[in-house]
Amino acid sequence: MAVRLTVNGIKHTVEVESDTPLLWVIRDELGLKGSKFGCGKGLCGACTIHLNGQPVRSCSTPVEMADGGDVTTIEGLSSDGDLHPLQKAWVEHGVPQCGYCQSGQIMSAAHLLQHNPSPSREDIVAAVSGNLCRCGTYSRIVAAVESVVENQADHSSREEA
Amino acid sequence: MSMNRRDFLKVTAGTSGGLVLSLSLPGCAGIQTGYDEKRGEWKPDAWLELTADDRVYFTLARVEMGQGTYTGLTTLIAEELEVEPASIQPRFAPVAPEYRNPLYKLQLTGGSTSVATSWQPLRIAGASARIMLVNAAASVWSVSPGDCRAAEGRVVHPNGTDTLSYGRLVELAAKQSVPDDPGLKPRKEWKYIGKSRGRLDAEAKSTGSPIYGIDVDLEGMVYAVVTRPPRYGARVRSFDDTDVRKMAGVLDVFEIERGIAVVADKYWRARKAQDRLTVEWDNSEALDVSSDQVFSSYHKAADEDPGESERSEGDFDNAAENAERLVEAAYEQPYLAHATLEPMNATAWYRNNRIEVWAPTQAPDLGRIAAARVTDLSPDEVTIHTTFLGGGFGRRLTNDYIEEAAAVAFRVGKPVKLIWSREEDTRHDFYRPAMLHRMQASVSDGQLTGWHHQIVGPQILDWYVRNAAPAQYPWAPKFLYDTLGRVGLMAEGIATPKDHSAIEGAIEYPYRVPNLDIRHTHTDPGVPVSWWRSVGFSHNGFAVETFMDELAHELGQDPYQFRRSLIDHEPRHLEVLERAVRLARWEEPAAQGRARGLALFRSFGTYVAQVVEASVDSGEIRVHRVVCAVDCGQVVNPDIVRDQIEGGVIFGLTAALYGDITFKDGQVQQSNFHDYPLMRHDQRPEVVVDIVDSNEEPTGVGEPGVPPVIPALGNALFALTGKRQRRLPLKAQV
Repeated sequence: MAVRLTVNGIKHTVEVESDTPLLWVIRDELGLKGSKFGCGKGLCGACTIHLNGQPVRSCSTPVEMADGGDVTTIEGLSSDGDLHPLQKAWVEHGVPQCGYCQSGQIMSAAHLLQHNPSPSREDIVAAVSGNLCRCGTYSRIVAAVESVVENQADHSSREEA
Repeated sequence: MSMNRRDFLKVTAGTSGGLVLSLSLPGCAGIQTGYDEKRGEWKPDAWLELTADDRVYFTLARVEMGQGTYTGLTTLIAEELEVEPASIQPRFAPVAPEYRNPLYKLQLTGGSTSVATSWQPLRIAGASARIMLVNAAASVWSVSPGDCRAAEGRVVHPNGTDTLSYGRLVELAAKQSVPDDPGLKPRKEWKYIGKSRGRLDAEAKSTGSPIYGIDVDLEGMVYAVVTRPPRYGARVRSFDDTDVRKMAGVLDVFEIERGIAVVADKYWRARKAQDRLTVEWDNSEALDVSSDQVFSSYHKAADEDPGESERSEGDFDNAAENAERLVEAAYEQPYLAHATLEPMNATAWYRNNRIEVWAPTQAPDLGRIAAARVTDLSPDEVTIHTTFLGGGFGRRLTNDYIEEAAAVAFRVGKPVKLIWSREEDTRHDFYRPAMLHRMQASVSDGQLTGWHHQIVGPQILDWYVRNAAPAQYPWAPKFLYDTLGRVGLMAEGIATPKDHSAIEGAIEYPYRVPNLDIRHTHTDPGVPVSWWRSVGFSHNGFAVETFMDELAHELGQDPYQFRRSLIDHEPRHLEVLERAVRLARWEEPAAQGRARGLALFRSFGTYVAQVVEASVDSGEIRVHRVVCAVDCGQVVNPDIVRDQIEGGVIFGLTAALYGDITFKDGQVQQSNFHDYPLMRHDQRPEVVVDIVDSNEEPTGVGEPGVPPVIPALGNALFALTGKRQRRLPLKAQV
């Protein structure tokens, strides 16, 4: 079938079988390799992208379910050419080890911050708990997200003042 | 393989009667060094390349799989070269003798050896190049080199203002004589070593850059999947691909050594088509074990064969006979999968009688052998491009996935990417071996008088030499590969003449006990096994440190005081033990409903003590806090040491709480993360890492965080429940 997708703001029409997981369309038809294949069953979160503003596991989302949808991947997380605040925090905190899960971790955290600019630690942990990291970078992920939350809070309190 | 290559290898009978291979190196492979006038590039050695336009490239001979070589080794060379590490562009090494790991004589990354084996050579390489650049500048200025200095990629004139960039100097530097003994900077002058500086690959890994093997994309690339036998060692008897070939996009279906390959224009099409395949397997030589049989066979072997003596001091039998009490315990530890988050994959392209392979591998020279083995090609007709690895943990020391990709590509003649599913990755691993440990201790007058440790299980090298030995002699003709495999790594008498994989961590038993008897009963159920983060230390750590805890309780002593009293002759052990205990407030009671457990263990030259605080809540084990004290000698990057130790803790806890690969009738029963779970965010403990400030030689940190946390958790659960668990994984209720 011909599937229409807007990915990171760019419209595409791709001819693929309707049951093809969205992940493989993003990776192999559109050439965006940042979203990763880890389990194929929505169990590890390495393939997390945003579909119509919701975090979804693209490895187990048939592309037909995304037809006409708006997709954001790690490559499109920041639109202004600079790194997204979360990406900056990931670099500053030295989060990635092997790095393979980090696109998914960042996409889960980014969705949280879009909807809750001042999450508690429990909120952060809950938002990323579906994202596995075999290297064990969990504490730095939480610290990096918290630093973004704090910076934003500082920023908005300065603006208010 | 041509005759002239064969001539380099002479097989003779050695004096011991064993087969001895003597080899003369042809003028092969080496890395060209020197100045390239056309390109304006200077390669002072196999690692560095400096260009006229001020770029610095560093060839990284140890792969990056999360453990931090990309940053750590670049820091070493940057320190002496006097350039900012972030301004250096690391490149992954091609296969060449210069890039072999000197400890193994193979180009492999493992054993927590990267910093330890690079510490001197890379700093010397950086210093030599810097001295030659300074000498070049001094000759331009007609001043004494001793009055010049180097900083930030430039040589500074004695007047303190004039400078020449390295790029301007490369041509002249190449003509300087290579210093015999370039002195290395004293510690107090280090700018980069010992500092917590960011990882050089952090940005690429936070922005989704296509850097992993699975991301390789080539023009005209097709995709392959392989159906492998459910039972290890089975062969294809027949297969029916009629329906497969009717599926959209399918290009070919054929048998390779390990199963049936389905090749299609897209990955998903290959996967879907694979479902239509029917294969009849010949199971006559297939694995036929179940997990309970593995352990009963181990117990039987242990009864029948006391095993080879690996370390013996005093007379344990005599001590046991005269003891007031003999304490005994047996520990059973299961098979474990590596579960790298990036599944096994490789991309291969056969053209012009050569094959190129792009792969996340810990051993590119073995990958070359793997590709040669399954094609008509010789190893020097195989090029391996190493990518970043989405986790390694030892899994990618075995290049079975490269073998498969090469076999498919050799037939297809197009670039082919082979990707394993998670299910395939879980079921076709080379596992951390299941092991049995039988312990005995003799006790008299409240003192430990004897220690007996019988390790029962396979050796990993038995499974590994097949490709490892030919990789040491890549010019050896292929008909000799199997022979090389059998004579193994002993051939030159240089690499691991003894396989320590089963006994490491047991034979180094550090406590002061007068009578010691440590044995290995070698028995192999036929399950494919390999190195797994911390290898033998992973199971020996549990056996030794759990039994030490049992003995402390038997003797009515505090587990810390008991260990302390037997280790005061080992200052580095003692230091980390005392630090961990202090930091964890061992002497104070744990919070209500919680208990603490302790373990002290040295692996890969690094000393680690850990205190785990745990509870059982709603039928689940909850790990609250892990305090780690670490002595790994001099530290290149403290931040990476901390993240490796913390990562090791999570890895070890994952094994302790969930790790259990089981077999039923020769088949692995687990498949994906629902039945082979990894520790998640909401389960992680707080991890505190305290690093000892040291002037000792640096040792590895990728693995040593793993072994002690497993017994430390078990010991905490004993303190909590009064019930000793002697089989892993640990359970909330026993």
